[in-house]
Amino acid sequence: MEEFSGEEGSFNSEEASNSVKECIQSIIGEESYRQDTVNQWTAKIVEQALTLLVKQTKSYKYIVNCAVMQKSGAGLHTANSCYWDTVTDGSCTVKWENRTMYCVVSVFAVALTP
Amino acid sequence: MDEFQTGEETAFVVDEVSTIIKESVEGAIGGNAYQHSRVNQWTTNIVEQSLSQLSKLGKPFKYIVTCVIMQKNGAGLQTASSCFWDNTTDGSCTVRWENKSMYCIVSVFGLAI
Repeated sequence: MEEFSGEEGSFNSEEASNSVKECIQSIIGEESYRQDTVNQWTAKIVEQALTLLVKQTKSYKYIVNCAVMQKSGAGLHTANSCYWDTVTDGSCTVKWENRTMYCVVSVFAVALTP
Repeated sequence: MDEFQTGEETAFVVDEVSTIIKESVEGAIGGNAYQHSRVNQWTTNIVEQSLSQLSKLGKPFKYIVTCVIMQKNGAGLQTASSCFWDNTTDGSCTVRWENKSMYCIVSVFGLAI
């Protein structure tokens, strides 16, 4: 009954991951790295991803982080750590690339206490 | 009186968090040059150290700490974040640090419980 809707109690990272991949593909799928437009791309990716996620499940606070890096041989390393409720909260990270750039998007979802 | 005190203890204080981050970064990589074999350990140390100091503050917050380390070789890097949260209680802080061989960007997001 109420317990049956246990899906709301945990974050669906696969669904979020798919939504994020679609966002990235639609915004930079066919593009090459350009310094003058990259800030618009990152802004669009985080906004669209956030809008999609909020439409899917409203009972979370969300943080969407996006990094786009030009492919030039430099090393890049990212790490996250979270201090939260491991039962209800969750995250997912999507790594995407094309010929000229890497894109890493992380989504963090923190449950809203009803 | 009571409400005034709890207001200060339960807000996300950017300066306080920023200081914690800077100390964590300095402690982990200050004085080091970019080394591919060690960068993994560095990012882990930075996020763990930051998180442990933040949780010692004892505030009713959930925290998310992210850290990016990039080698300096002329590549462009752009990052953006968007957040769906409670503007009155939640907050974030980003610290950018660099030395001769690398950039380090650490972001902390604090969400009130």
